[in-house]
Amino acid sequence: MSTSAIPAAPERPLPTPTRESQPYWDGMREHKFQLQHCASCGKVRHYPRPVCPHCFSMESRWEEAPLGGKIHTWTVCHHPFNFFFKQAAPHVVALVDMDAGVRVNAPLRGIAETDIRIGRRVKLGFEPVTKEVTLPFFVAE
Amino acid sequence: MAHALREKAGVSGIGETAYTRGTSKSGLALQLEASLAAIADAGLSPRDIDGIIPYFPGGGIAEDFIANLGLPDLTLSAFIPMGGATCVAALQTAAMAVATGVCKHVLISVGRTGYSGARVSTRLQQFPQFALAAEFEAPIGLFAPAQLYAQGARRHMELYGTTVRHFAEVAVITRQHAILNGNVVMNKPLTVEEHHASRMISDPFRLFDCSLESDGGAAVIVSAADRARDLKKPLVTIMGVAEGHPESPASIAQRPDLLEFGLVKAAARAFPMAGVGPKDIDVAEIYDCFTFTVINQLELLGFCKKGEGGPFVMNGGIALGGELPINTHGGLLSQGHVVGLNHVIELTRQLRREAGKAQVKDAEVGLVTGYGDMGDGSLAILRRAA
Repeated sequence: MSTSAIPAAPERPLPTPTRESQPYWDGMREHKFQLQHCASCGKVRHYPRPVCPHCFSMESRWEEAPLGGKIHTWTVCHHPFNFFFKQAAPHVVALVDMDAGVRVNAPLRGIAETDIRIGRRVKLGFEPVTKEVTLPFFVAE
Repeated sequence: MAHALREKAGVSGIGETAYTRGTSKSGLALQLEASLAAIADAGLSPRDIDGIIPYFPGGGIAEDFIANLGLPDLTLSAFIPMGGATCVAALQTAAMAVATGVCKHVLISVGRTGYSGARVSTRLQQFPQFALAAEFEAPIGLFAPAQLYAQGARRHMELYGTTVRHFAEVAVITRQHAILNGNVVMNKPLTVEEHHASRMISDPFRLFDCSLESDGGAAVIVSAADRARDLKKPLVTIMGVAEGHPESPASIAQRPDLLEFGLVKAAARAFPMAGVGPKDIDVAEIYDCFTFTVINQLELLGFCKKGEGGPFVMNGGIALGGELPINTHGGLLSQGHVVGLNHVIELTRQLRREAGKAQVKDAEVGLVTGYGDMGDGSLAILRRAA
């Protein structure tokens, strides 16, 4: 006896938070862009990790960071390497130099492909995709 | 004082399977078939192999090589998880092993079912080196190397005026070279127009900017220079070899300069070790996961200034008969994707003067690069035996 031939809708790949990154995802869920800072020398680091590569301290704290930034570069994704993204294609993913001094890769919305420029100001927004996970996106500042 | 490893080791044997899209063989079978061919090419018996560096993850491990080749006394089994930089970096590890007497003959090998087995979108998810990309970038739709490297290519275009016409030139010339080789997946000529008309994968990369997903196996043997008399063919000597790891190695996004990677550090060591510079290179096999990455590496290696890689590849300079012939076998773009071990094989052929219709006249010194895991780099400079 065969089961239904209709494939299940493809599911969005979701992050699996680690013990180091959990506070980042907790912040995103509360619509806060929180970054890890060294408790000893104060330097920011992203992505989250156990040791400060500058002073080797293992103590860190999480601080809310500003949402603004400038486009560093971008790509327009046409081929959906994961079928979940087939409906959205083509979609722009921008890599942004955040004012906080780290970069974030996220979908860029509301700016025509021909108007994208290095250095253009954008702002990070929050999009809940499950009860647990909220993902970033960018719009013009 | 000369570097302790300089000219202490060389490539003594090369072997490869047919490069195809579709096979009934396992990756391990392809790897062993190529390994047996390389061992025979060196004039050795499988029993002579006492060191192995298999490509990892994917393919055989020490247990498989002992079980299949009856290796009586393996003294070294090592993995080098550097993605596309693995194979050239393995030349350094193998050279260290044979120069110190730990091994006599080290087998470096790859077996891959990149077409008939797991494809790029699923295979990389299993790599620990891609954990950050899986956590932070896959959820927003960015995961495949074509997408991650596209952002660097776009930045190069915006900063330096590099164009898709430059990308097309790399694809077209690589294809011309592939056709001369014969053992290739892509055996029909490619025009600039066909390149520009191919479907967009991740802007600015179109289909013909991307390397192949193919099936095949490749292997080389590295032997100590003082064992040359035991071998069937003249040793192709390793003059200089190095690996390099970039800042933010597991995330391109967080790297201060997206266009600089481990190759810069490797080149700063391998050229002085070899005692030569870019001007001395007769032929270059450049890791070509994408057309743009060739342009980028030509800059990082010092063949041209930063930002001038696009114009450098135009006007036949990288074609056979040009100033610096590159990827004379068709590379990953047109021959097959065995993680660049085919580049080491081709350079060895060129320096043995066994490259047939693709032979670079009077080739004496050449280089081969590796580029992988989002930024690891490796470089080897080889010389025709005196």
